[in-house]
Amino acid sequence: MIRHLFKLIWNKKKTHSLLIIEIWASFLVLFGLATLITFNVKNYLEPLGFAYENVWAINLSNNQDTLAVAEKVQTIFQSVKGFPEVESLSRMSDAYPFSQSNNSRTVKYKNSDVQMGVVFADENLSKTINIPLIAGKWYRNKDSVGKYIPVVINKMAEGALFDNQPAVGKVLKDYDGKAVWVVAGVVDYYKDKGEFMLNKPMMFELLKADQIYNKTLVIRVKPGTDAVFEAKLVKAITGIAKGWSTEIVYLTDARQKQHNITLIPVIIFLIICSFLLINVALGLFGILNLSIARRRGEIGLRRAMGATEGSVTAQFLGEIWVLATFSLILGLLFAVQFPLMNVFDIAGGVYITAILIAIVIIFLIVTLCAWYPSRQASRIHPAIALHED
Amino acid sequence: MIKLQNVEKVYRTSSIETLALNNINIDVKKGEFVSIMGPSGCGKSTLLNIIGLLDAPSKGTIEIDGLKVEKYHDKELAHLRNQKLGFIFQSFHLINDLSVVDNVEIPLLYRESNAKQRRELAEEALVKVGLSNRMKHFPKQLSGGQKQRVAIARAIVGKPEIILADEPTGNLDSAMGNEIISILQNLNENGATIVMVTHDDAMAKRTHRLIRLFDGTQVL
Repeated sequence: MIRHLFKLIWNKKKTHSLLIIEIWASFLVLFGLATLITFNVKNYLEPLGFAYENVWAINLSNNQDTLAVAEKVQTIFQSVKGFPEVESLSRMSDAYPFSQSNNSRTVKYKNSDVQMGVVFADENLSKTINIPLIAGKWYRNKDSVGKYIPVVINKMAEGALFDNQPAVGKVLKDYDGKAVWVVAGVVDYYKDKGEFMLNKPMMFELLKADQIYNKTLVIRVKPGTDAVFEAKLVKAITGIAKGWSTEIVYLTDARQKQHNITLIPVIIFLIICSFLLINVALGLFGILNLSIARRRGEIGLRRAMGATEGSVTAQFLGEIWVLATFSLILGLLFAVQFPLMNVFDIAGGVYITAILIAIVIIFLIVTLCAWYPSRQASRIHPAIALHED
Repeated sequence: MIKLQNVEKVYRTSSIETLALNNINIDVKKGEFVSIMGPSGCGKSTLLNIIGLLDAPSKGTIEIDGLKVEKYHDKELAHLRNQKLGFIFQSFHLINDLSVVDNVEIPLLYRESNAKQRRELAEEALVKVGLSNRMKHFPKQLSGGQKQRVAIARAIVGKPEIILADEPTGNLDSAMGNEIISILQNLNENGATIVMVTHDDAMAKRTHRLIRLFDGTQVL
């Protein structure tokens, strides 16, 4: 029967060409949407790598004040540290967790050449936002006296640079081939732009006290600490550094903003696709209804030749599946290029999953659209259908 | 082979009740070639549909090859149609998107058979009706007579014991009509039981027996 259906559809390929194109286009749109969703879900399922609850970022801006900036930052640091509400405090670059800022650089080791995200942070960051280490240790201020700048990298960077060989103690070179950094420790994950961020190579570099441009303070406060303390904090800071501006960001809010940046386009795309698919489904339903109305004689004939109600339903469902299969073969020729050519540097598994999701949804849609007309077809009385034709 | 007893068929709508067949008693023996005649609307096609298990009588009993079919369900009726009955229609009912040989294979799709067996049987049936050179053609490329020969090949491909023909020469000129009747006679001589509805006296005379209907009642 499958051979018969393929033959029937193949012989009617011109009549069905628009339908094939419609299903093909729907598959491609679904493939795009499924890729986007699979990519984000896969990222979401990977650990974030740090804790953000009860953590605030204090952005200090010295504005026009250029006098003794480093000293003022140190004073603010000590002052903030002195509050009983503050459990832990760290100074870092403006690329604090969930911020919109990014820093990156090229790092070399032997023949490996890796583009990495860079975070400048002091020795307290791992404690403040609870970044567990899987190898080595987090750098200390006293490590800065060594020949190389101590850094902590994530497992992704370790894999990219050292082919998963132990990284601790290895010396890394900069873009020009100059030995600059030494690996002090390795963390598992650090997705600083949120759960939806792709896990990519990251590097933490020891922030020295005199690096005045990196003056974001990240603090862990005691649970239940509220805006009253926030006001107290701002007042204390402005008391130390007059003319400076202070912005306090709750990391829970910053995380939500990052989620929105990822999720809003996905939701918009999802809504547009849903409308598109509803239109396709309605069109398909209409075409199938019309097709069955035109083929009443054939249905009567098949019943006379021995087809049961079930086989008529199966035939019409089978025809639409065959049609969908033709469309999907065309669509697959296009879709498989993405994993093969490593488009957008997304893992092949994401594309393969998206292809499978799109195939399942297409078959689901065509089955739902064909089910009712097919059942109607099977209930056509053979004597009446043969007489009408 | 075919036995109808006290068969009655009533079509009911919300306001009208039409008696299409009234007290029909027919007994067609194995190997007979019977024609059914009567004016338009007298119930010939209804009777043929009832014999062909495409329609159920309102009253009465039907026996096909000794099997009483009143309590048969859709699957059992379909199986019986597939195994015992072959249909030929006035308007051929060929599927234009399938080649001649694929059209002939249709009844075999609804029984246990593989593609090779189906192809062999279809080719054999087409040879019997003299269309071995038209197997790959499509129905639109054939004349009316050729189309009806394809329909006959389709009716006999499953080697049914009974062939039901509903005005098989109705859409053909007399020469083509004679050709088709000759093929049916030949099938009958080879053992097929045939029941044919016709308007044409000349065609009816070439059968063994005539059943005449008038206003749904059997008059002969």
